[in-house]
Amino acid sequence: MIKRILAVIAGVAIVGGGGFLWYAWYPALPKVAPPSPGQFSAAQIERGRIVAAESYCVECHTRQDLGGGPKLAGDYKMVSPFGAIYSSNITPDPETGIGNWSEEALRRALHYGVSRDGSHLLPAFVYDHFTKMTDADISDLYAWIMTQPAVHMTHRQNDFPLSVAPRIGLAGWKLLYFRPGVYQPDPKHDAMWNRGAYLAEGAAHCGACHTPRGLLGAEKVPGQAYDGGTVDGWIAPPLNDKNPTPVVWTEDELYDYLRNGVAPLHGPAGGPMSPVAHDFLATVPEADVHAIAHYFADIDRASQRVSGDKAALQRAREQSKRDLTGGNLLTDPDARLYQGACSACHYNAAPMPVLGRPELALNNALWLDEPTNLYLVMLRGLTAEEGQSGVAMPSFYNALSDHDMARIAAYLRRTRTTLPPWTDLDKKAAEARKLVEEPPVNSSH
Amino acid sequence: MGRLERIAAEQDRAAGRGLSRRGFLSAAAGSALLFGFARETRASQLYPMGAPLPPEEFEPTIWCSVAPDGVVNVNIIRAEMGQHIGTALARIIADEMEADWDKVKITYVDTDPKWGLMVTGGSWSVWMTWDVFRQAGAAARTVLVEEGARLLGTSAEKCTARNGNVSDGTHSVSFGDIVAKAKPTRNFTPEQMKALPLKPASERRLVGKEVKALDIPSKTNGTAIYGIDAKIEGMVYGRPKMPPTRYGSKVISVDDSAAKKVRGYLRYVVLDDPSGTVPGWVVVLASSYPAAIRATDLLKVEWTPGKTAHVTEKDILDHGRQQIASREGGTMVFDDRGVDDAFRKAHRVIEREYTCASVMHYQLEPTNAIAMLKDGIWEMHCGNQWQSLFLPVIAKALAVPEARVKMMSYLLGGGFGRRLNGDYVVPAALTSKAIGGKPVKLILTRSDDMMFDSIRSPSVQTVRLALDEKNTLTGMQHHAAAGWPTEVMAAAFMQKGVDGKPYDQFAIAGADHWYDCGPVRVRALSNDLANATFRPGWLRSVSSGWTPWAAEQFWDEVAHELGKDPVELRLSMLNGNGQDGRNKGEAPDSTGGALRQAAVLKRLSEKAEWGKALPKDTGLGIATTFGQERGMPTWTAGAVRVRVDRATGVVTCEKIWLVLDAGTVVDPDGAMAQTEGGALWGLSMALCEGSEIVDGVCKDRNLDTYTPLRIADVPEMDIEFVESTEKPMGLGEPGVTTIGAAIGNAIFNAVGVRMRHQPVRPEDVLAALKEKSSV
Amino acid sequence: MIKFKLNGRDVSLDVPEDTPLLWALRDDLGLTGTKFGCGVGQCGACTVHVGGRATRSCITPVSAIEGAEVTTIEGLDPAGSHPVQEAWRDIQVPQCGYCQSGQIMQAASLLTDYPSPTDEEIDGVMGGSLCRCMTYIRIRKAIKQAAAVMQSKNSGETSNG
Ligand code: FES
Ligand code: FES
Repeated sequence: MIKRILAVIAGVAIVGGGGFLWYAWYPALPKVAPPSPGQFSAAQIERGRIVAAESYCVECHTRQDLGGGPKLAGDYKMVSPFGAIYSSNITPDPETGIGNWSEEALRRALHYGVSRDGSHLLPAFVYDHFTKMTDADISDLYAWIMTQPAVHMTHRQNDFPLSVAPRIGLAGWKLLYFRPGVYQPDPKHDAMWNRGAYLAEGAAHCGACHTPRGLLGAEKVPGQAYDGGTVDGWIAPPLNDKNPTPVVWTEDELYDYLRNGVAPLHGPAGGPMSPVAHDFLATVPEADVHAIAHYFADIDRASQRVSGDKAALQRAREQSKRDLTGGNLLTDPDARLYQGACSACHYNAAPMPVLGRPELALNNALWLDEPTNLYLVMLRGLTAEEGQSGVAMPSFYNALSDHDMARIAAYLRRTRTTLPPWTDLDKKAAEARKLVEEPPVNSSH
Repeated sequence: MGRLERIAAEQDRAAGRGLSRRGFLSAAAGSALLFGFARETRASQLYPMGAPLPPEEFEPTIWCSVAPDGVVNVNIIRAEMGQHIGTALARIIADEMEADWDKVKITYVDTDPKWGLMVTGGSWSVWMTWDVFRQAGAAARTVLVEEGARLLGTSAEKCTARNGNVSDGTHSVSFGDIVAKAKPTRNFTPEQMKALPLKPASERRLVGKEVKALDIPSKTNGTAIYGIDAKIEGMVYGRPKMPPTRYGSKVISVDDSAAKKVRGYLRYVVLDDPSGTVPGWVVVLASSYPAAIRATDLLKVEWTPGKTAHVTEKDILDHGRQQIASREGGTMVFDDRGVDDAFRKAHRVIEREYTCASVMHYQLEPTNAIAMLKDGIWEMHCGNQWQSLFLPVIAKALAVPEARVKMMSYLLGGGFGRRLNGDYVVPAALTSKAIGGKPVKLILTRSDDMMFDSIRSPSVQTVRLALDEKNTLTGMQHHAAAGWPTEVMAAAFMQKGVDGKPYDQFAIAGADHWYDCGPVRVRALSNDLANATFRPGWLRSVSSGWTPWAAEQFWDEVAHELGKDPVELRLSMLNGNGQDGRNKGEAPDSTGGALRQAAVLKRLSEKAEWGKALPKDTGLGIATTFGQERGMPTWTAGAVRVRVDRATGVVTCEKIWLVLDAGTVVDPDGAMAQTEGGALWGLSMALCEGSEIVDGVCKDRNLDTYTPLRIADVPEMDIEFVESTEKPMGLGEPGVTTIGAAIGNAIFNAVGVRMRHQPVRPEDVLAALKEKSSV
Repeated sequence: MIKFKLNGRDVSLDVPEDTPLLWALRDDLGLTGTKFGCGVGQCGACTVHVGGRATRSCITPVSAIEGAEVTTIEGLDPAGSHPVQEAWRDIQVPQCGYCQSGQIMQAASLLTDYPSPTDEEIDGVMGGSLCRCMTYIRIRKAIKQAAAVMQSKNSGETSNG
């Protein structure tokens, strides 16, 4: 999910400043009496739940540190170079939440990034995507939000004040980068594709993480759409044909991944991607997830590239077995380390990788430009709730030193991929370790 | 359960102490019950504290008893660490007394002076117990036959015992009924026992027959209780903070402000150790082990380190070289008449130096112990191999009389000699003392355990041979310098050399060979720098794991120099001759002498097809030794076939052959298992292991850098025991002894380079190949 | 409070989240069949099943197994008679036995992925399980025997309909 990164944009905007008052000025919309839950039909609320799930509202509007907080009540911590900022309460509480917002106020916020009181919202609230949502979806979303439990809670004080000046700066930023407008179906494609595109570009805001951002934090669209980005220190891999995995992301693989958090030929979803699957896309109509998968299978040109998969699989199978028997174990201490620490799980034999034995020769993390994701998974492990449900990967935080991790990374890169070696592996291991705030496990060494 | 335990248990019961005294076992079983996993223990073995009260039993000796229900209990004073020793020893008694094997159970006893020397090591257990247990079985049988005959109304001469019954040919009565009805009470003194007639070998019905080891079932379902599994009500957990050097470190200051933030942290204890075993250790106490781990990491301690803070492996080896170069020092194990003369007159002298690196135990269960004061007695709960050695040390550390210290034995998660050294019990005892005798469970993490492992010392050996003009062997010398475990830990057990000086037989055994090669000098040197830097340990097969690395490669080198066949050369020297008839052998332990070694070597060379052509870069290597010690030889010959990859220097062992003559084999499957494991240890040390002393401590702390053999490295194996009715020797270690040298010889036969440092690393092979091709 | 299923039963545990599963099992839940060997995920002595997959419990925090199904050696089979355990006893694999809970758990998991494993597959998966007593030859043999028994049981079941 997008999370912390977009806070960067806020910082940039503050520094950038600038006066576009005429553009920046929006009126406050009147407060309304909180709508009574009875005024929405059950069907509409359910539709709204789905829209919310496909937008991951809960993820960024629920506190996760300090043992978590009430759903939608905000106070989710995002770290920017200027200090932490906290997301707002979007429960129907009239004082601290959005209980006295009208539907129009919500629509204006999503479509134009403007709060009810007329102030500009930080683009951490990804209205560059939400602007594509239809009025009908927003109406349903309003129904769902307004029927959720109201929580009286204000978020922690932001580390820097979001006073008027930066808000004006934001207006400048919007002028440069923000193009409002509801999604327009592409007649060259069928309904399924368009449904997928509508969700991916709009509510689900995939590009927020998977598209690189420019100096001022805006997505480099359309030129570099889905070329890959970063989030919370993780690399969000390219979703187009620049995705480096040896076996392409087909519609089936994408579907499994998005729906269940694990794709047989690519491995589990880790880090910020994990809740996207488990907490949200697992709860929406299958057809919507199929549509997103269908859309990205087109974006990454899977059908044109799939012919190489068989050979890639074959090669991966050979590599998986490498060094687990015979002489290399004696010449290559790294092979031996890998055997002791990893191979019992990451081993596969013919004919196919076993689900839950992620085949590293096929895994995204090994084929990316940097070892970051590989390191983060080694350090953090995966809980039974992440990746493939019910299965856990241990945390090697205390079990492998930076140098040990570097040895394994170098070894895998040279034996499991056809790519040039990673550089500065020890240093990058130390940097990745710093991203993990607390050791996940208190083990001995 | 012996009488003493029974009385103690009865007293417990009378005092209403119930099961509390057995808390450690019931606590473990109890929580399992809570979750519904408790099951019957299939193994018929009991620990003293967990055992139910037995009925009144017949105890002809301290070693065994027969209950009215016919159950025969055998008391085992040896530690169980994988050798299925209880099963093997119980077989000896049961066979001699003609018991029904299905009714035999074994009990691991705690330390009581009556048991005598309690040590499990040196592959001694069967060898040491063989006579005593046969006599104990005979004692039981004698009384049961007498009493049985009386019950049957006939005379003892007319009766025989068989399978738990006494019979006169028509009627029979079971052992249980004899005990129940006749209530025999007779027991035997050791002298009386020695006078009893023993069965001839042809009458043996259990010894040498296949058997299922009694300890195995509990090792497949999680019910086996090791030292680390022991639990005492109210215990706290400890982890040591290791000082920078093994000896001489002094604590300057301790800062626990960071440690205090750990939930569960209790306190730290700076140990004050009158026994000098753990100088400078600080122990961190916490309410859980993970809390102890973290708090110890966070505890800041400043020390002044001991003098050895900068010693390296190379320093130690160089020191050994100097010792060997000097004619002074050391102890003469052999110093035959004429040896100096032979070298003075020699037409030619062949001399080679061989070295071996430090080797670590990495017994899979890290060292640990629980210590507590209970009713005035200091109880130590742990797995240990040499209780008799460390009871006095613990007593000294605690400053109490030895009678007030007791050790309760548990299963050992691997011994390999590590737990002959009981150093890890001392800090547990001292910590418990510091908190008023409350139970403390001290566990070393793996890195703690390895930092001060009682390693197999690095060693230097020089071997020399004198030849005359006709290339006749006229004299031989073998000098070996290494750390001496026995000197450091059990000096009283050292033997005396021919020069009257003490020496560590476990730092030279294997060099004192059975070859007839003219007058021989074998000199053992204690590497004092090694002894001061670390605590040298006994490690599986001890010196017999490394002296053959020199001796048995040397004979191959000599054979090649002289253009002789290495096997022929050895056979010609294994003729039973030697100065003063040394190699003829002595009954009962080494009956047959060198000729038995020749026999296993011959058999091995047939099996391994010595002399047969092999593919390119593949070689067969052979070595032969006499197992553990000259005094209890297990005649051993080993062969390996290796393939050397000239491009990478990798040596792959494709197959191992072993032929052993260990006399009577009591438990054939157990013997096989021990030998398989031993051989793979030999292989592991030759190719996969080897550590190094850096800055006074062991460099390797865990499996990321210390790399013992794993399943993928395992070659095919073909092991054979010579049929024999001679007295049984040991089998825990001989499997190790020949492998290293056989590998060295095989590498030479494959690619013509001689590796004289163990372990053999691919880069060393490459370097040797390069050097050879440049000559 | 961490909740999960242990050997088929619901348990809840009040320990710090970063507690390794190994110590929670051994010291808080009283199941000492799972062993501490290296503490760094490289010896396999602490192997349990999480969601049916062999997992090193020494470096798995209890927080990672919230809601998961955990099986230890004590719960592999209610009667201790999983085909792997039977084969282990029949071939007398254990020596000191300390590694064997982990070996058995790893082998049981291996056989679900590879019902009739080759030597190479055995080496690949069992390579992380150290046996210091070096019982490897028997481990290989016992895995194959267990595989054969399980195969014939399965085919028996199918042929019986
Ligand atoms: S103790 Fe967990 S893998 Fe070694
Ligand atoms: S049986 Fe002892 S470590 Fe495997």
